[in-house]
Amino acid sequence: MIGLAKGFSYTLKNLTRKKVTYDYPNEPLPLPDRFRGIQKFYPEKCIVCNQCSNICPTDCIQLTGKKHPDPSKKGKIIDTYDINFEICILCDLCTEVCPTEAIIMTNNFELAEYSRDQLFKDLVWLDENDEHIRRVNKP
Amino acid sequence: MVQELLASPPGLMNFAIFFLLAAILLMVILGFVTYAILAERKVMGFMQLRHGPNQVGGRWGLLQTVADVLKLLIKEDTIPKLADRPLFILAPVIAFAPAFLVLAVIPFTDKLQFADIGVGLLYYIAISGISTVGVVTGGWASNNKYALLGGMRAAAQMISYEIPLVMSLLGVILLSGSLNLNDIVSAQSHGWFIIKQPIAFIIFIIASIAELNRTPFDLPEAESELVAGFHVEYSGFRWAFFMLSEYVYLFAMAALTTVLFLGGWGALPFLGFIPGAVWFSLKFSLIVFILIWVRVTLPRLRADQLMEFGWKVLLPAALANIFLTAILKELF
Amino acid sequence: MIRTEEMLLNVGPQHPSTHGVFRLVVKIDGEIIKEATPVIGYLHRGTEKLAEDLQYTQIIPYTDRMDYLSAMTNNYVICHAVETMMGLEIPERAEYLRVLAMELGRVASHLVWWGTYLLDIGAVSPFLYAFREREMIINLLNELSGARLTFNYMRVGGVKWDAPEGWIDKVREFVPYMRQQLEGYHRLVTGNEIFMKRVKGIGTYTKEEAINYSLSGANLRCTGVNWDLRKDEPYSIYDRFSFDTVVRTGGDAWARYECRMQEIVESLKIIEQAAAQFPAEGSIMAKVPKIIKAPKGEAYVRIESPRGEIGCYIASEGKKEPYRLKFRRPSFYNLQILPKLLKGENMANLITILGAIDIVLGEVDG
Repeated sequence: MIGLAKGFSYTLKNLTRKKVTYDYPNEPLPLPDRFRGIQKFYPEKCIVCNQCSNICPTDCIQLTGKKHPDPSKKGKIIDTYDINFEICILCDLCTEVCPTEAIIMTNNFELAEYSRDQLFKDLVWLDENDEHIRRVNKP
Repeated sequence: MVQELLASPPGLMNFAIFFLLAAILLMVILGFVTYAILAERKVMGFMQLRHGPNQVGGRWGLLQTVADVLKLLIKEDTIPKLADRPLFILAPVIAFAPAFLVLAVIPFTDKLQFADIGVGLLYYIAISGISTVGVVTGGWASNNKYALLGGMRAAAQMISYEIPLVMSLLGVILLSGSLNLNDIVSAQSHGWFIIKQPIAFIIFIIASIAELNRTPFDLPEAESELVAGFHVEYSGFRWAFFMLSEYVYLFAMAALTTVLFLGGWGALPFLGFIPGAVWFSLKFSLIVFILIWVRVTLPRLRADQLMEFGWKVLLPAALANIFLTAILKELF
Repeated sequence: MIRTEEMLLNVGPQHPSTHGVFRLVVKIDGEIIKEATPVIGYLHRGTEKLAEDLQYTQIIPYTDRMDYLSAMTNNYVICHAVETMMGLEIPERAEYLRVLAMELGRVASHLVWWGTYLLDIGAVSPFLYAFREREMIINLLNELSGARLTFNYMRVGGVKWDAPEGWIDKVREFVPYMRQQLEGYHRLVTGNEIFMKRVKGIGTYTKEEAINYSLSGANLRCTGVNWDLRKDEPYSIYDRFSFDTVVRTGGDAWARYECRMQEIVESLKIIEQAAAQFPAEGSIMAKVPKIIKAPKGEAYVRIESPRGEIGCYIASEGKKEPYRLKFRRPSFYNLQILPKLLKGENMANLITILGAIDIVLGEVDG
């Protein structure tokens, strides 16, 4: 009986305690800088080294490059860059290997869409995803 | 007023009046159920450091249950192909009708009562037993193994706990000398039965929680074991009827507890200027709060422990209480 | 003459108390279980096979998804295996960060177990209290690694991130707070007579049975076997901390409950010491080549995860991918004793026993 009574007093005390829930859709969640959300892509920084697509554990990054339009410059520039968020697991490895920090995590995590097709994000979308970008990208 | 009507010759006018009164009572009950569910969710939420419903109907979620019920009403009515169709449809009715019937005898104040019958208490106990049939029927008709197990558990549990429930009341009946609920209330004008019959009160509360199928005795619908127990195949408004009967019983049981042990509408000394209805609702709310509080705190018992507890602890205690009461009544 | 009939009941794969997509075919007579057959594999993703085509760094996010309640220990076991093969020396600061992360993960994992176990038994509130504290741990780990559950935090040779500013202090503050909350938990649940009646003497097995079924973790220690890899085969820097192996002798669900609750206390001790000894500076990454190649050969390492002994076997041909990778997943092994325990029990005990084993389906199915 004492055990039961202790339990009752515990729950009764909690009646007036501060609530711990988040008011989520109304207030954005406080997320740390390191949080791994949807990537932001800087096409101008990309050197088409393919490292991100190679390291991706789920093969969700597809990219193609083209010759630099300025013939005096060597190297390639990015042509298309797609991330398939149906299978992306936001593991952060692509941003880790990128030598020019052309791809960076943001704090945006709201990926819900009405159709699977919309989860296929292209270069333009990823370039426009420029809010809450991670400040410190490499340790 | 009701007494005169009961005695008057039958007629269409009489029928209309009774029908109207019953409809009003039903509305009151539905209103109560709506807010009892809300209160339960709110209190549970607060005790669990949450807010509970707070989206529909302002900060306090005042329209949450209304929205829920509306959703249930417009849901598709599914009946499993292999279910026993007539029984499946009948079960929620059998479960709900007695829950509403028992309310007729409960005196809310000295004036507000629908039927002042001599054996009111007996009527309540007898009628409330019928609900079990509904639960068992529902469990059987669903043609689902979980539902069947839930129905069986419900039957076993209700039979085992009905007995200590009645036995604990015998003490009260001995002291008041009547089965009439009005007489029981007036017998408490010089001290509530919770003071004179503490053992009976504890047994009654425990047995009534078991009768209501609430935690820690919620075995028939044990979420984590039987998924939802007897109403696992029910959906939409049929399911709503089971829920409704559960909460109407909550209302009835809390009202009965108030009447039997807390002096009904009787006031505390020197506070007689507060109307009886207020007193009744205060005491009633207290009982409902305790029932919710129990639900928040306790884990569930196991079926065999439940039986053991009912037959080996509650029943002997209730019997002892009867003897003790009889001896005390004889001596003083 | 009353005729009774046995019936076949499918518990799961969709059932609130199987903690995932676990199916149990039970043959019941009334409520008494005659026979129980676990059916697993609904969450099988073939992690081990997938790993054969992946670089070692790429395997780490996959391990996050095995035991998703304590991903840090899984991260560690794969890194530890590769490091053992390569003979790497891990910087001290990285080791401390790993230990802190793993022990915080252990507390979080046991909290989830505690909450859901009580939910199985029918008490609704403990779940929410446990998740309040778990949320704080998850926020800490989120700050550290950038994810709430699938951390992908450890790397071969060290860890990805250094502790953010003020993080160690937050961990230090968390320890006394958690101890205080634990007391509340004990008040709410441990002394509760109904709870004790539900778990005491349920699902009992002996020392020998536990060893024969190769149980590990709290499932083993509840029978009186003093075996904790952190103590008996210290890996990482566990030999630097003073803590006790929690051993109970009952062998029943109650002993397992006590073991896990006490393990939280011991983990808090480790966290406290690790936070106190935390080196002021230092590297968090050993010198590793850009492309990690484990030398030809094989290695098996094992560590103590919240659920028991998690092991990782790597056979390497000297390439950047493993030739064969095998995880000893404790939940899978612990589950094997279930049919034996369930025989002759009733339906309500099924939940009590299954819950007390503490399985994570991601880990059972691999």
